[in-house]
Amino acid sequence: MGGLPANRTANGFAVSAADPRVMYVAMRDGLFKSVNAGETWRAVGSGLKDVAAVAVNPRKPDEVYVSTTDGVIFRSRDGGATWQRQQ
Amino acid sequence: MHQWSRASTALLTVLMLLAGIAPSSFAAAGVEHVHALAMEAEGRILFLGAHTGLFRSEDGGRSWRKVPLSTRHPHLDVMAVVADPKDPLLIYAGTHEAGVFRSEDGGTTWKEANAGLGGLDIHGLAIDPNVPSKLHAVVREKGEGVYRTGDRGGKWVRVDDGPAGEVKVLASVNIPTGMGGIYLYAGTAEGLQRNPDCF
Repeated sequence: MGGLPANRTANGFAVSAADPRVMYVAMRDGLFKSVNAGETWRAVGSGLKDVAAVAVNPRKPDEVYVSTTDGVIFRSRDGGATWQRQQ
Repeated sequence: MHQWSRASTALLTVLMLLAGIAPSSFAAAGVEHVHALAMEAEGRILFLGAHTGLFRSEDGGRSWRKVPLSTRHPHLDVMAVVADPKDPLLIYAGTHEAGVFRSEDGGTTWKEANAGLGGLDIHGLAIDPNVPSKLHAVVREKGEGVYRTGDRGGKWVRVDDGPAGEVKVLASVNIPTGMGGIYLYAGTAEGLQRNPDCF
């Protein structure tokens, strides 16, 4: 699980239906992505904070949604590289 | 000291409200303290579980509509939402107060699916991606532990004590290792943990 902030709460978790090795963890410090089933992680979406939950579109594996704790939704269409606020 | 800390937080909130900078981005939609996000199998509808209930969006999260789960329990804290990976009409919600609810019509109507659960405080739901009739649920407090159902919530059986630390999210993942098989991932207060699903 290298690359995830230590001793921090994992609020949300989602996996790509197309490739289950691709997974996302939502944390207070941001959103983290692994492409090797959780062996290593890197932060994606600079500026995302207080991430409470994450979901991957089962039909479009690069389309990812996150919600902050207070309900602000962001969408990425490139696997987490860039994000658009939805409201 | 504790009293002082609470009092100062309240004072700060009042000052922020007066200054117009209090966090109110989603007060209008009624979404508060989000716990879960899920998309149904067709990738058209987002479901969001929050302290103030279950919500759905059909425009990628731009607008939200509250989904009533139960007339008996009008104010449910929705801790977990999972969608069947094959059937877009089949959705499950886990609540803090009233256990698991299942919808077979895309979230329009809901029924309780709690037979066999030792408690009704659900902190995680996971659906098996290979066999979607099989789910796991994490129960806290009364009847604490991990429960499994093989018939879409018709009957639950306790199978494990569960991971250490408060569980925030649970997921079944089909890891394509040489050995194959399903792993249960749990997001907890102590980070991300995983176990082979051998229960």
